Amino acid sequence: MTTGPGLDALSIEELRHRLHDAEETLRAIREGDADAVVVRSADEDTVFALAGGEDSYRAMMEAMDIGAVALDDQERLLYANAAFCALIGCGAADLQREGLFARLDARTADTVRGTIVQARDGRHQTQFVQTHDGADRHLMVTAAPLPLAFGIGSALTFSDVTVRVEAAVAEESERIAQAVIASANEAVVVCDRSGRIINANAAACAVMPGELAGRPFEQAMPLIFPNGSAATRTEDLIAMAGAGKAVKGLEAFAPFASPPKDLLVSVAPLRLTGEAPGGSVITLIDLSERKAIEKRQTLLMHELDHRVKNTLTMVLSICSRTLSGSDGLDDFRVRFTRRIQALAATHNLLADASWTGIDLSAMIRSELAPYLSSSGPRMEIGELDRSVGPDVAIAFGLVVHELTTNAVKYGALSAESGCVTVTGRQLERDLYEVAWTESGGPHVKMPRRHGFGQTLITRSLARGDGTGATVDFAPGGVVCRMILPIEGRA
Amino acid sequence: MDRSTELTLYVAGQTPKSVAAIRNLERICKEYLDSSYAVKVIDLKENPRLAREHNIVAIPTLVRQLPVPIQKIIGDLSDTEKVLVHLQLGDAA
Repeated sequence: MTTGPGLDALSIEELRHRLHDAEETLRAIREGDADAVVVRSADEDTVFALAGGEDSYRAMMEAMDIGAVALDDQERLLYANAAFCALIGCGAADLQREGLFARLDARTADTVRGTIVQARDGRHQTQFVQTHDGADRHLMVTAAPLPLAFGIGSALTFSDVTVRVEAAVAEESERIAQAVIASANEAVVVCDRSGRIINANAAACAVMPGELAGRPFEQAMPLIFPNGSAATRTEDLIAMAGAGKAVKGLEAFAPFASPPKDLLVSVAPLRLTGEAPGGSVITLIDLSERKAIEKRQTLLMHELDHRVKNTLTMVLSICSRTLSGSDGLDDFRVRFTRRIQALAATHNLLADASWTGIDLSAMIRSELAPYLSSSGPRMEIGELDRSVGPDVAIAFGLVVHELTTNAVKYGALSAESGCVTVTGRQLERDLYEVAWTESGGPHVKMPRRHGFGQTLITRSLARGDGTGATVDFAPGGVVCRMILPIEGRA
Repeated sequence: MDRSTELTLYVAGQTPKSVAAIRNLERICKEYLDSSYAVKVIDLKENPRLAREHNIVAIPTLVRQLPVPIQKIIGDLSDTEKVLVHLQLGDAA
């Protein structure tokens, strides 16, 4: 191990001292107190690191798959492992000769220096993007203080975290995509290339309850397409998407849904990577509500058409019959106008009730109101809490108008002591009797001729099944009994 | 420079025990020695021949040159009491 001057030249004391040193050195090496030794030779002395010392640390660093670098306090490179050399594409000798920062681009060098500064009080980590061989990559540099014999250096590790970052981005994109599908109002079904469902949102499950994932789409949702549609079978949708074709707005019927639904179906190829479709995305919009509105609108149009025609027919009839019973143009004008006004008043009441039914007492009060006063004549209306349909209401309005006109000209409403009493009575089935009874007026005589007014009264309410009206010209006052089909209570 | 205690620490580059010995010696000097001491650190990796002056073989080794007689202790100096007693430093002197 060591050599020195001739032992025989040394004193006993010195020899003892040398022996103690030698024993102490052996003990230190054996017990691991020393991790390097100096070996002397004639030419030169050499320092060797002992096994388990620096060499084993270096061996471990070389075996690491992350880049490891040690710098002294002057940014001089003390050590760089093979993984780091591979990461920056540089040989160990070149790196040792040129130094770390000479091999880094300016932006990366700034980032690394900044990280070292930040790590003065402890470990610091920075993730950054570096352009390498024309492509961006994500690197993570970690710096920590490195106590050295002569100052504080830096221990750096470099990791390429591109795969991890891209995986995180892809995972986030996937999460967002899933959230978009899940929160979409439309039913969205995603199928793989074979047409098997791999994802279906809540709206899709509302169309077809139960577990959809894993089932072939055509089995899970056997849609029915109208004649002339671009698709004749559900399988056609998958085939279109498989061929890279997108189709929008196909109407389809889903008899399996509860309740059965009208749907608007669109299909598009699912593009993952590359050109070939990786499956299909099918969206289904529930048209049931829209269809119901369309049906209701069509019904209303037909109903309006029917009512306008009826009204025109009625106006023509009123016109011709009023004309034939008039004593001149002025008489016609007055009678015709009043009858049309009565018709209009009934229409107003019907419109106020949205044509869904009308209160009988409201119609009577509306007609009689202009002829009543506190000094007479009077009107007494019993409980008439029944409503009638629009057609019956129009006829009833005209009848009440004719009765009122007669009463004003010849009957109870022509005298201050007169009174018109209207009562109602429920008959069997859905029939209701309204009795118009005049009293207190002039003595009543049977009319000499059967005018339009009487014809209108007796015929317009006749709708079969016992409906209609009768007029009794009793001497004490006219009594008219009208039997109406009713819809319910007002 | 008149110093009552002169210490020389022999290390070998950045080996773990060399680094630890430097840090431990700094701590011992700061905590146990007064201002009348001198410390020299010699890196034998830079110049191995300097080991000859004190017949250094194992590294790290701390040598107390003054006061005489010369004393040595091998290791990273983590056992403070052993260092103080062995080299008769501080209150143990």
